[in-house]
Amino acid sequence: MNPLLEVRDLTVEVRRHHRRFRAVDGVSLSLPDGGSLGIVGESGSGKSMTLRAIMGLLPRTASVQAGTVQVAGELVADGEERSSGDRRRHRLAMVFQDALSALNPVMTVGAQVAEAPRRVGGLSARAARERALGLLRTVGIPDPARRYGSYPHELSGGLRQRVMIAIALSTDPAVLLCDEPTTALDVTIQAQILGLLQDLRAAQGLGIVFVTHDLGVVGQICDEIAVMYAGRIVETGPVGTVLDAPRHPYTAALLASAVDVDDVGRVPQAIPGEVPDPLRLPPGCPFQPRCPLAQPDCAAGPVSLRDIGPGRSAACLHYDALAAGPPGAAPVGPEHG
Amino acid sequence: MADARLAADDLVVSFPVAGGHTLRAVDGVSFQVGAGQILGLVGESGCGKTTAARCMAGLLTPDSGTVRLDGAQLGARRTAQQRRAIQMIFQDPYSSLNPRLTVRRMLRELLAVHKLVPRPAMEERCRELMGLVGLPAAALDGLPAQFSGGQRQRIAIARALAVEPLVLIADEPVSSLDVSVQATILRLFAELRDRLGLAMIIISHNLAVVRQLSDQVAVMYLGRIAEEGGTDELFGSVRHPYAQALLAAAPRLHQRGLARPDLRGEPPSPVDLPSGCRFHPRCPQAADICQHDDPLPRPVRPDSTHIVSCHFGADPVPESAVTPLTG
Repeated sequence: MNPLLEVRDLTVEVRRHHRRFRAVDGVSLSLPDGGSLGIVGESGSGKSMTLRAIMGLLPRTASVQAGTVQVAGELVADGEERSSGDRRRHRLAMVFQDALSALNPVMTVGAQVAEAPRRVGGLSARAARERALGLLRTVGIPDPARRYGSYPHELSGGLRQRVMIAIALSTDPAVLLCDEPTTALDVTIQAQILGLLQDLRAAQGLGIVFVTHDLGVVGQICDEIAVMYAGRIVETGPVGTVLDAPRHPYTAALLASAVDVDDVGRVPQAIPGEVPDPLRLPPGCPFQPRCPLAQPDCAAGPVSLRDIGPGRSAACLHYDALAAGPPGAAPVGPEHG
Repeated sequence: MADARLAADDLVVSFPVAGGHTLRAVDGVSFQVGAGQILGLVGESGCGKTTAARCMAGLLTPDSGTVRLDGAQLGARRTAQQRRAIQMIFQDPYSSLNPRLTVRRMLRELLAVHKLVPRPAMEERCRELMGLVGLPAAALDGLPAQFSGGQRQRIAIARALAVEPLVLIADEPVSSLDVSVQATILRLFAELRDRLGLAMIIISHNLAVVRQLSDQVAVMYLGRIAEEGGTDELFGSVRHPYAQALLAAAPRLHQRGLARPDLRGEPPSPVDLPSGCRFHPRCPQAADICQHDDPLPRPVRPDSTHIVSCHFGADPVPESAVTPLTG
């Protein structure tokens, strides 16, 4: 059986100041039916660019150089052609971080939800309105008939995000691509939106790809995790095992740098150094200059993802040193003081 | 705490809104912070935490209530010295730094305007400030755009420290930074508290940040303090249902599965506050009394500094007195 979403060797080049660099470098992802995958990494790691390349929403300065995107076995994009937007549009939908700037400020939210059913789905105005009301109900907007005529600025951040999810659902997508959808929200509202996404997954078998910098959020709603660094996936696997026992030093360092409300005894450790300039990547493993486990062989040549256990892979030559339990890699159980 | 460095007493701030209504952004808030101490102010958007902080920094005049610095009341018009004493840094260092000034020019201008350092000693002071915030002296030649987010936040901190403040107020200082950088900025705050004896107020929606850094914590909801106390005591036994929901909703690194805090809906409009306890429409534990009586702040135990504004927050809670709200 084909996976719901399969991305192979996706490579995206970005032009900046007459120079080119690979913002996404040979990324492969696979999402089963109703699965949820979290992509994490720092700013500039290529996680949002990966999502936009899958959706076909790259900025003008970026282009897919290689790779394929398949939804349920059907090819929706490959490196050669750029105009597969229509085929892609119905299977994939995207939810953005900032609902206020993603929504049309001079159109009622109801009309925005009804737009795709009317124009793409060919529904009558009345049927599209009914469909939009149903979608607003699905995403948990109280009193949808009254909210239908509201403008985005009249709604709270949480309701706006629900409207955006309703718009995303209006084309009956198979996969929802979420780009930091809860980063701008308060924690209790974030929990509500994550709950909604989880419910949609369970009720409709929707696949979810969730890009975030918050490892705690990924742990809550994703089955699988992919950690990106300098445009590449450096570690991937089931979310529980990766977060509790990372096998790439970068994953371990990210975890060690994060603050956790239950874990106050541990002082967060910053990752030394800086994210490398994509125009001047270090030789070999891109994390090697910042890595506490680095050996001379790390800079000698490219380090690719390799299988390291059931469903897990890591791009590290010395991952077994992490298994021995260096600082930051040890699982820490929640402990109430 | 008799010798609070900065104390706010019963602050009230309201704003006129459309339709002749008034929005009470801060509705009777008091707290204090001592030298060498960090107070964490937590709450969600619109709870009034930033407005309260702006009052203390003198960026906003409260309708009523007082702000005292070392016991002296600060008037609506503060002296230059009083303004210098309380400095504020903001979430987005990029928009709060002048993009066309090098770090050196920005700092020298400040030092000159406030007549803090004679001209020949300025370069030395600039280098010292860079050292305090953990940047190399070479950073003085840079423009804001040439730095990363974490470095820009350090520059904003250096600028605040240039005028030798007694109090530093930081409004969401790490929210726009990558996780990997947050840790270094948090550590810098702790270092500055210890080295300079600063009194600090850290405003954040992130409970983990506040718990990591603060000596005292105040949780705000709709313009009021719902719960406050020493960090260890408060987190050791969170009493207010709102604070409990916030804690339950906080993402954790090693928790699997979704936290679904028992919290209904979204905060009501501060223009039209609910009767009784302002949290009761969303509260999973609301009883009849909560609809009618606004709970007064009370210590969780006699003589405790852990204060909660909930009818059922204090020890002991006689089970029989609780009649659950039905319907």
